[in-house]
Amino acid sequence: MRRSNRELWLALIAMLLITLLYVFVMSFERAIPSASGFFGHALGILGFILMLLTETLYSWRKRSRNASWGRMASWLRFHIFTGLVGPYMVLLHTSWKFNGLAGIVTLFTLIIVFSGIIGRYIYTAIPRTPDGIEIEAQQLSQQIQALESQLQRITSAGNQSTRELAQRLDALPQTSSAPFLTFLGNTFYEWSYRRQWRSEKRRLGSAARAQADQLQKVFKKRNALRRQIETIAIARRLLALWHALHIPIGIALFISAFVHIGGALYYATLLR
Amino acid sequence: MEKPLGCLSFSGLLIALLTFVILGAILFTQGGAMFSPGELNAQIAAAPLGGVRSHAELEHDCGACHTAPWQRNTMSDQCLECHTNIVAEITASQSLHGILMAEQGATCYACHTEHDGPDAVLTVIQTENFPHEVVGFSLEGHAQFADGTPFVCADCHQDGVAKFELAACEECHASLDADFTQFHVAAFGQECLGCHDGIDTYGTDFDHNQFFVLEGEHASGTCGGCHPDVRTMAEFKTAPQDCYACHAEDDEHNGEFGMDCAVCHTPTDWEQATFDHNLSNFPLEGEHADAACEECHQDNIYAGTPQDCYACHAKDDEHNGQYGSDCAACHTPVDWKQATFDHTLTAFPLTGAHNSVACADCHQDNIYAGTPQDCIACHVDPVFHQGLFSTSCTDCHTTTAWSPADYNQSHTFPFNHGESGVSACTVCHDPTLNTYTCYGCHEHTPANIDSKHREEGITNYTNCMECHPSGREDEGDHGDGD
Repeated sequence: MRRSNRELWLALIAMLLITLLYVFVMSFERAIPSASGFFGHALGILGFILMLLTETLYSWRKRSRNASWGRMASWLRFHIFTGLVGPYMVLLHTSWKFNGLAGIVTLFTLIIVFSGIIGRYIYTAIPRTPDGIEIEAQQLSQQIQALESQLQRITSAGNQSTRELAQRLDALPQTSSAPFLTFLGNTFYEWSYRRQWRSEKRRLGSAARAQADQLQKVFKKRNALRRQIETIAIARRLLALWHALHIPIGIALFISAFVHIGGALYYATLLR
Repeated sequence: MEKPLGCLSFSGLLIALLTFVILGAILFTQGGAMFSPGELNAQIAAAPLGGVRSHAELEHDCGACHTAPWQRNTMSDQCLECHTNIVAEITASQSLHGILMAEQGATCYACHTEHDGPDAVLTVIQTENFPHEVVGFSLEGHAQFADGTPFVCADCHQDGVAKFELAACEECHASLDADFTQFHVAAFGQECLGCHDGIDTYGTDFDHNQFFVLEGEHASGTCGGCHPDVRTMAEFKTAPQDCYACHAEDDEHNGEFGMDCAVCHTPTDWEQATFDHNLSNFPLEGEHADAACEECHQDNIYAGTPQDCYACHAKDDEHNGQYGSDCAACHTPVDWKQATFDHTLTAFPLTGAHNSVACADCHQDNIYAGTPQDCIACHVDPVFHQGLFSTSCTDCHTTTAWSPADYNQSHTFPFNHGESGVSACTVCHDPTLNTYTCYGCHEHTPANIDSKHREEGITNYTNCMECHPSGREDEGDHGDGD
């Protein structure tokens, strides 16, 4: 489990456990658990509470950066975890019926989850400090210069093969000619770089690998910073656009959900 | 806070307002339809009910069925607004609806579901939820088949839940165990519900012992053996529990021992009888306890066996009937020899020296009857009595000893003659009672007597008592001087 993806794995495990419980209840009742049953209601209520936490806690923390209530990265992980598990429970609560307002709420939920996944991609494309404070382009340039100097020192100290390796790694495509394509291809460039590095590494003897590892880490960091500096402007614009869409959808979702809850209470829970 | 929450921004509030407006508009135009979890049933009724022919026509009129929590009417009331024919059923206590609705909190929607689509079944009774026991048969034992498949209504109610044919029981159970079902129906009939309420199958789990302990041969008998032609549980409970009700025909004693077989027999085996004779009115003691039954009860006849000793022991009577037929007056059942004859109870109680004499002294040759009770029969009249006393010894003697005797018969001569009180017999009668002498007392010396009589010219004076029967001197004045 990579540290950067821990929340995704935890969310996956939680969803698997919930699925197992769902299957168990389904086999016990010999029917799909109804939304109005005890289990169905429990799924809906808990899922909605997790969604509420998703929408509120991280937003509050993000807007109070001066407070020392944990690191933003931790809150973001929690936000992602609840943002995946909560909607999944709400989806199971529907008993796979999507009529009327309940169906619209489910649709909004699915949209907001996909929107959140996209938002996470955009959000992480913008370089930040561990506390979530954005880093400006000038600071990125200074960091790149420092890394270039470090590369220079490594290649100077190394032998001929090290210098040749540095040239090959430096020659790999790192960005596109268009910043937007660089932004979209970020993952591709990272994947391409890792693949090339593994190929180069196999050619090296065991003695040369230690120095080569140090070299590639610096290259990797520098390349990421280069892409970030190139895409920072477009990433910020995309994030603003994403906010403009994600937040209204979220508001519509929660208002619809509350109305749905009111309707369920009126027509079903308080049924006489 | 550096920034307000996104939802509190202008765009956020605008979206919120827009959402409310849209939802409000839908609510206004469509009613509560947007809350509907599914389409209503579209089954067409034969005749309009409440102005519509199907629930589907009420798709946008939620209030036709749903009531607000604060309203007095319930959903069931709303149902009955249209389904007026059910109102009549509910008021009939024996109808299905009447029985169900009599349950506290019963609702229409407990069985009649909606919003499951136009073609969905309107009556969905979950066997695990439906209070089937209120119609007289619990589903406790019919939750699922032996293979785990759950029961559905149609398994028993082939023509709809409102109808039930008893043949369904037999048909289903015959498929499980044809032989038993055939036997059971033959024994108890086809009215299964007469006994079975669905809770107790009266099968392997049934505890018959709480009514009648099934032991020994009883445990291997058939139900119909004791419960013939039974059709209801009430009839089962009327089965008699006294032995004779079932076993009268088995009684080899022909009723001589009464009707409670269990006094002697156990349900295990008739032969294992353990008769406690001591519970009868003739407890067996001593030698009686070791005697074989047939010694007293010949030919297996027990009733009317005589209880008097002589009926059995006449042949044993060494007294040849002289003591009557009540042996127990002297003997115990332990041993004939341990006789304890109480002579005081006879007409001749033994007193005094009689107590120490041997029986044979009075009863020669073991002959007891007719033993004379007069003294002279045993005691020889002494010679010195002869001519003087009767043979009634007891006139003078007691049984303590012959002597002293107490003579209390007529005696002309006073016993207190003289001045020394009552004198001993031997004072006068010495040496025998049939003789007496006056000499020796007072001045009665022969010379003195002779002198005095001669003075009076009396010469024949040897028989003193002839002239002085009371011993007085003057009695002799009337003598003739002989």
